[in-house]
Amino acid sequence: MITGALAPRRLGEFGNELLIGLTLAIVVLPQAIAFSTTLAGLPPYLGIYGAIWGVLLTALLNPSRVFHGGPNTAMCAAMGVTLLPVAPQFGADYVGYALTLILMAGLIQTAFLLIRPLGRALDFVSEPVVNGMICGIGLYLIFRSFPAFAGLPINTQVEWRLWISWQTFLASLEIGNIHAINIGVITLLVTVVLRQFAAIRNLAILFGIAAGTLYSEFINARYGLANTLVEQIADLSSMGFVYPSVPLFSQEAMPDIISIIPGAITLALLGLFQTVIAMRRMNRKSGQFVDSRHGIFADSVSNCLLPFLSSLPTCASFNRMSLMHDMKTRSRLAAVLSAVILLALVSFFGDLIAIIPIPAMAAIIMVLGAAMIQWSDIRPHFQHRAEAIVFFGSFASVHLFGLFGAVICGSLLALAYAKWEKAHPSIHLEGNVLRVRGNIYYGSLPLIESLYHQAHARFDELVVDFSAVHHIDPEGIRWLAEISKNDKVHLADRRSGHERRTEQREPHSQQTRTDRRRRRDF
Amino acid sequence: MKPSASASRKLLRLALLVGALLALYLVAVAKQDERQRIRERPVTLTPGCEEKLARYQLAAGDIYVSPYILERTGRRIVKQGYSEEDVRAIQRGCNIIDDLQGQRAADPAGERWNATRFVRGTHTSCNHCHQGIGDKQTADGTPQIGSLSLAASWAMADMYDRFTGLLLPYELRQMQCYINSSNGYKPNIADDLIRDVTAYSRFLAAVLDLRFGNRYPEQGIDEIPVSSTLKRGDDYVRGNALYQQRCAHCHGPQGFGTVVDGKVIYPAVAGPNAFNLQSRNNFAFVSTILPGFICRNMPPGEEGSLSNQDCRDIAFYISNLPRPAGDRQGPLMALWQQLMMRVMPPLIRFFDNGDSRP
Repeated sequence: MITGALAPRRLGEFGNELLIGLTLAIVVLPQAIAFSTTLAGLPPYLGIYGAIWGVLLTALLNPSRVFHGGPNTAMCAAMGVTLLPVAPQFGADYVGYALTLILMAGLIQTAFLLIRPLGRALDFVSEPVVNGMICGIGLYLIFRSFPAFAGLPINTQVEWRLWISWQTFLASLEIGNIHAINIGVITLLVTVVLRQFAAIRNLAILFGIAAGTLYSEFINARYGLANTLVEQIADLSSMGFVYPSVPLFSQEAMPDIISIIPGAITLALLGLFQTVIAMRRMNRKSGQFVDSRHGIFADSVSNCLLPFLSSLPTCASFNRMSLMHDMKTRSRLAAVLSAVILLALVSFFGDLIAIIPIPAMAAIIMVLGAAMIQWSDIRPHFQHRAEAIVFFGSFASVHLFGLFGAVICGSLLALAYAKWEKAHPSIHLEGNVLRVRGNIYYGSLPLIESLYHQAHARFDELVVDFSAVHHIDPEGIRWLAEISKNDKVHLADRRSGHERRTEQREPHSQQTRTDRRRRRDF
Repeated sequence: MKPSASASRKLLRLALLVGALLALYLVAVAKQDERQRIRERPVTLTPGCEEKLARYQLAAGDIYVSPYILERTGRRIVKQGYSEEDVRAIQRGCNIIDDLQGQRAADPAGERWNATRFVRGTHTSCNHCHQGIGDKQTADGTPQIGSLSLAASWAMADMYDRFTGLLLPYELRQMQCYINSSNGYKPNIADDLIRDVTAYSRFLAAVLDLRFGNRYPEQGIDEIPVSSTLKRGDDYVRGNALYQQRCAHCHGPQGFGTVVDGKVIYPAVAGPNAFNLQSRNNFAFVSTILPGFICRNMPPGEEGSLSNQDCRDIAFYISNLPRPAGDRQGPLMALWQQLMMRVMPPLIRFFDNGDSRP
């Protein structure tokens, strides 16, 4: 099955897959470097290995045609936030803790794979929750990039509340390195303008980085690096095919490792949510149905292996997957090729990559953050009050409670919303007939009982029609059993189509059961 | 018709985006120019700084000879001089230490690099802990032991943080002051606020001829652990009595400090303007720092008149007074502390006054 989906049918198709692979490799390279350096606080090689091995592993393990793994914005941001209080960024300890964090997240994801109800629970995160979180993270990314954009050292601030982001923004304006700001603005302008043209939209990032790098080289040649003080990506010449690594697990590190467990849970959930939702979206767009459990399997296995390959964690990438879909990929070969081409790029053009200035990277992160806030995605939520509340709750909780808090808060909001909807069945009193549509369960019973008692007091004979009820919980059954003892009350329950047509009512006890659900006889 | 409409909308969006970007860029350029102007304009010194810098004969020149060392030892130690720009930075640094919030400045935000952004409450100033504008001396001019001297602090250069084990350069240690001691936020390490204080501290080290890597008695705090007392335990009631007797005159009976005409004369040691629960001044967090500070620096003019046990008792009492919660203690704790700070003191005042009423 794997080879079947991997192999394209004709040579012409192979050419298309090769083109898609090349585009993906070019698109993922700056993202990988920017995510690892400015978001996760890790050396760039982790991002690049993540874009090679993460993409390769998920492409081989996930049967979906349109799937691209690799480093992800939200996951890298979560790593940066989690590890900031633990060790200084870019240090050896920090890398060790990061690998441990990824491994823990991979193991947690494996638990989601092995415990079926847990994996199923991922489906209960509704669209407004996810969109709220994505928009929140997008805004966070923009604010978070300001220090790097202005060439300022990143403040090791544990909290990332909007207040502190605002202070950082002011600091960028007032004390930023003007050379760095110039590079960032040029990159931003070129990228934003080129994105407007559909033909080169996918290459806009690349052109933006090229423009920023050219300007940076120009001012470095003119004023000297010692005067411009523009930071650049580190030397990548030591990058090879594979760089084995071991997560940090030592006695002294244990308290810190325990303290990052909530972060690992967040990381695992963020990855799985995105994979499941991206696969759900792609299923609808491409017409190929792939069970999201395949995605969970691919992600969990990859994330357990990646920390041993010096890689960032992997999960589905919305932007690269929509790119693949737009370019009409037909097999998983495109993703595999993107990893191979990236490896070749890094091996042969490492010197060119090393001179990319960090402010240009920060500008790209800002563009990606802004691109996460899609008006067309969130507009439908404003047509429904409850959805709008859930969306705003999820959006605000990213900034108020952090990513982990947002996952919890958003899920609770979504559940509360679903329960609230169910708790308001449509109940009508038509003459002496009380019609209930919806669910009879502990949440909706108080409403039903209230109208029932009013009707019961008014009429000598009352018919309770629950033929349009689609779910009754045990408490509802007990209540129905209770009122059925009342002589004034008659129950009209669900009838089969045959009964409706013939309009014959058999006595309850002789009725043949066609419903699969077990029901207690009243 | 339709494609052109969508194209024009796209163009409008693009123009808005680019316009916003350029506007922000222009704001950044204007702000940077403003900073540069402030850097270049002459500094109005606070009275304390004027006296101190005149005494140390700070002036631009090729060499600098410390009058302090010349007077005390007769040695003429020649050091590298300061440019006009250096002199202004040192002067601004001195002003920041003396009057962090700019309560004595004509243009507080400009002259103190918006320091109030990084401080919560209206009381905090560097001078409260780093007394004598970071250079506290006894009557005969000897640096005061355990007085958190900025000069000695600079000479210590980079140190390992004893709580986190991180290597902290002098700038990062300053940034920690804003969180650990002033209940505020960190300024960026590249901020002029940090740079000017570094310049001033370096100047003080040159004046006192302190050398890198040495340990000086005025460096940091002369901490008082339990082992330096008779180990009777820290006594809250005795601390309360001692506080009312020795400290309340300046810091107020409830520790809320003394403010005259909007200028802080004596800072709050409790209440919304004081250091927070997670500060290292807090006895429950680090029990040796506040007693050490009190013993060596309090009450002003009568330093050394309190015994080690007295200092521990007073510190224990002070730290139990209501104060803001630390940032990482969560909203519930913050709410509780606000309640304790805002509601309890009026209640206590009411009942205390009730006794004396007819």
